[in-house]
Amino acid sequence: MSDESILRVEGLVTQFRTEYGLVKAVDGVSFELRRGETLGLVGESGCGKSVTNLSILKLIQSPPGKIAGGRVIFQGRDLLAAPEEEVRVLRGKNISMIFQDPLTSLNPVLRVSVQIAEALQLHHGLGKREAKAKAIEMLKLIGIPDPERRADDYPHQFSGGMRQRVMIAMALSCDPDILIADEPTTALDVTIQAQILDLIKNLTARNKTAVIMITHDLGVVAGMCDSICVMYAGRIVERASVDDLFYDPKHPYTRGLLDSIPRVDRAAAYGRDGPERLYSIPGSPPSLVDMPDCCPFHPRCAHAMDICRSSYPPETRLEGSAPRTVNCWLHVEEKRR
Amino acid sequence: MATNRLTRNGIAMTGLVIVAFYLAIIVVSLFWLPFDPVTMDTQHLLEAPSLATGHVFGTDEFGRDILSRIMKGCSVSLIISIFATALGAVFGTFMGIWAGYLGGRWDHWIMRVADVLFSFPSLLLAIFVMSILGEKTFNVVFAIGIVYIPQFARISRGAILTIKSNEFVRAARSNGASSSFILFRHLLPNILVPLIVQVSLSLSVAVLLESSLSFLGLGVQPPAPSWGNMLSGARKVMVIAPWTAIYPGFAIVLLVLGFNLLGDGLRDILDPRLRNVR
Repeated sequence: MSDESILRVEGLVTQFRTEYGLVKAVDGVSFELRRGETLGLVGESGCGKSVTNLSILKLIQSPPGKIAGGRVIFQGRDLLAAPEEEVRVLRGKNISMIFQDPLTSLNPVLRVSVQIAEALQLHHGLGKREAKAKAIEMLKLIGIPDPERRADDYPHQFSGGMRQRVMIAMALSCDPDILIADEPTTALDVTIQAQILDLIKNLTARNKTAVIMITHDLGVVAGMCDSICVMYAGRIVERASVDDLFYDPKHPYTRGLLDSIPRVDRAAAYGRDGPERLYSIPGSPPSLVDMPDCCPFHPRCAHAMDICRSSYPPETRLEGSAPRTVNCWLHVEEKRR
Repeated sequence: MATNRLTRNGIAMTGLVIVAFYLAIIVVSLFWLPFDPVTMDTQHLLEAPSLATGHVFGTDEFGRDILSRIMKGCSVSLIISIFATALGAVFGTFMGIWAGYLGGRWDHWIMRVADVLFSFPSLLLAIFVMSILGEKTFNVVFAIGIVYIPQFARISRGAILTIKSNEFVRAARSNGASSSFILFRHLLPNILVPLIVQVSLSLSVAVLLESSLSFLGLGVQPPAPSWGNMLSGARKVMVIAPWTAIYPGFAIVLLVLGFNLLGDGLRDILDPRLRNVR
């Protein structure tokens, strides 16, 4: 893997104006993606994972959404400052996306070959014939049997797993530099999940496509990613290589997430009210409306201190096999001592 | 498939047969008519229908053959209806889908204009447009088309609103598709069903509107025959020669019925929510 950085997100802030007030869905997210790297973005529902990635491609509905600050540097340009037309040309060609629900991500009235070749038609001006040939080639690549015949089928004639494969083929048809996969396996059977992940892994390895894998499934992250960013309430609270994170989580929230994974061999270990109870982090994620300047995790944190309630912890660098940071007062203290 | 369901749907088939019958009459009238529809014949004024004279539906107050005039009027009425509906459907749909897709201020203004047009009764609006444009056959197309624009705008806007939040729209955007590409490639095919149904129902109303305008003297101008102006002429002699009114009236009723049956049937066939209800 080369160290060449291909995408840099700096201090991204995305807000939504709602009737309850200003929602800071993403509040100062920064990360860097290198060519061929797979980056996991982990966190609970509503922590801003998807919004972060939609913001990168400027796909936020506006109004009510608004990208209020930050920079997204791709190929030396700030996408957030670039005109819409310039960003549109990059979408699907240089940066493409896979969405969560394969059942609704395909247009029900268009043949799959048309949809797979869409990006090619848009970006390379392929004719109908060539586009279909390319679509058949992609279908073959993603392991759809009898691709010549299936190319003319409609999405409803495919199963959920096959549709997600078609989505992957669509997203990768132009050999993009970056693939953003927004919970690509959430809607699928566990048995299909592994196949889909393998497919993403193999296809992106061909052209050293970097992947941003958005998920709340730490199992997916463990098998796929090189490094991980853990998000909470619109901010990245910890980043580390996969090994560091799994063996030595630093942020109490990360620890809680890892403890929440149900384990077959330790099903009863954490039970408080009985052997069959699974562990979960107490409390629920905070409302993102008018967030005070504090650690948003402190009401749920077992280690909360006075300072956690009054100010947000700065980013602390830690030792690790990859750049490793954590935003928690526990570690700030540690360093001072 | 849809064709199969069409042949099994009695209502739609009845409508289709009626419409096909009228289309056949148009084709025949291009090559052959029993009599010349505009030449007056003072020897045979207001003759009752009879096989012996060849005037199967009788003659009018100028001695013109009513059957020939109905056949000729058929193409006038149908062609005007078809063009007017096409005009309204194309412009109305175009306005409606952009309003629905763009939302916000665009939506607001486009739909307010549509609301204003909608607030006039159809016939009144058509008369209004005709009196501005002048009484020419082509202007009838325009008058009826304008009446239809807000109707199609509303239907297509509503349909777009229900599907534009689908994930596949976002997927297309993330693929680099522009707004017009998304609208015409992805969204328009998804709303064709309600539009097709509306087209066929609109055709029936267009036939009525054209007849009404011609009846009032604003539409097709005599001596060119149209069912509306035939009825208008028959008004004065209806009591002594009822056939002058009955046959053109029947022609209108049957065609309107045909389009309505076809429209209702198509809705049953194409709307998945109504499928398997029975």
